[in-house]
Amino acid sequence: MSDEASGAGPQADPRANPRARALEGFTVELDVYSGPYEGLLALILRDEVEIFEVPLRELVALYADENPSGTSTLERDTDFVDSATSLVLLKGRALAFDPEGEEDPEEPLSPRELERRLVGYLKIKRAAELLNERLRENAGFYPSAHFLPPRPGKLRVDRKKLAAAAKRAFSRTAEPETRHLGPITVTVGELAALIRSSLVEANGNPVRFEDLVRGMDRLRAAVAFTAALSLASEGSLTLRQTEPFGPLTLDPAARTK
Amino acid sequence: MSAAARPAALIEAVLFASPHPVPLPTLLSATGLAEGESRRALEDLKGRYSPEASGIVLREAAGGYQLATNPLCAEAVERLREEARPAPLSGAAHEVLACVLYLGPTTRAAVSTVRGVNSDAAVRGLLERGLLAEKGRDLESPGAPALLDVTDDFLIAAGAKNRDDFPSLETLVDETELARVRERLASATPEANAGVRANDPGADL
Repeated sequence: MSDEASGAGPQADPRANPRARALEGFTVELDVYSGPYEGLLALILRDEVEIFEVPLRELVALYADENPSGTSTLERDTDFVDSATSLVLLKGRALAFDPEGEEDPEEPLSPRELERRLVGYLKIKRAAELLNERLRENAGFYPSAHFLPPRPGKLRVDRKKLAAAAKRAFSRTAEPETRHLGPITVTVGELAALIRSSLVEANGNPVRFEDLVRGMDRLRAAVAFTAALSLASEGSLTLRQTEPFGPLTLDPAARTK
Repeated sequence: MSAAARPAALIEAVLFASPHPVPLPTLLSATGLAEGESRRALEDLKGRYSPEASGIVLREAAGGYQLATNPLCAEAVERLREEARPAPLSGAAHEVLACVLYLGPTTRAAVSTVRGVNSDAAVRGLLERGLLAEKGRDLESPGAPALLDVTDDFLIAAGAKNRDDFPSLETLVDETELARVRERLASATPEANAGVRANDPGADL
């Protein structure tokens, strides 16, 4: 590791030290990034720019060449040194990366292992250079760009099916069959009045729904339940059922208040 | 029309209508031509669509044939389309591509191990550009991490017929260079080796 990297202290971790605004006007032009320096720091911290690709020496040179006006030079220089030191530390850590987390950082690699890694990396580096060349040579080919439309599939129309579909689409919806239903002889209003009078007779005490509909047929019981719901929704009573499928109780509104 | 069309014309029409490279079997199926006839026609077309003679070139890429514009005319095409050429890849991205091409399909961790640095950002960029794709999982590793592989778009971008269309990894580094590495290692004392990893950090800082 270079002197530059080894000089960073643990207190210089940029994750724990947000950048001050003194460097706001400092912009950088690098191969990997062009724009405000603070933006570069943010991208590095978000792992969107690889620290490995940021030439720190070039960054320092850019800062040294810059001649800001209207800012405190000392404060600005301090901020830059602070952030640059953090980048050196970060880069040092990245270079000592151990993805498997199995290596003891205190234990040096054996010469054989070191040779294996260096040779392996050297081959990949040469392959990367070759790819760079090939990709550059092959840039600028544009295909004909005639994207085919979706296949329409088989289009075969059966006249009878088409006529039936049209009849269904354009005819009125048939009225549902109601002959099996008996004549409706009671209304929600009538049963709501019945519930109100039952509550009055109970003198402020709750009324069990079961007692209310005792002797009624299924239709009247159902309408009574609808009436109870309606009264509950307008706030005239409260429906109470302590457990699923348990007895339903109607409480007069004044009592619940 | 197709009954009277010459083989070269048939192939030319099929290639013109396809945005992707067309493999030979697909060409044969679409045109109804015999293989020998098709190959002769393709040779004829290669001559007609050579970079020296035409604004359109016939190239072989990703296991097929493709008609594409001549790179010499790229700027005019880009002005017409009002689009800039994608920014060149970074050095790290090239290294990641090389790892996956030569050692893949492989995991992110394996790529990082070979490069000696965390490569997640570079991998993410290459996935976004469609040059890498996740293809399956390494079921033998803990957590079954995704396996990365190069895509057809990468082969097209590199002008490669397939992934064998690259020189072997062993031929990329000559013996002299390897001997130099070994010599440097041998001359270094164990103390000097302490803490050194696969890369030479000092060179990059």
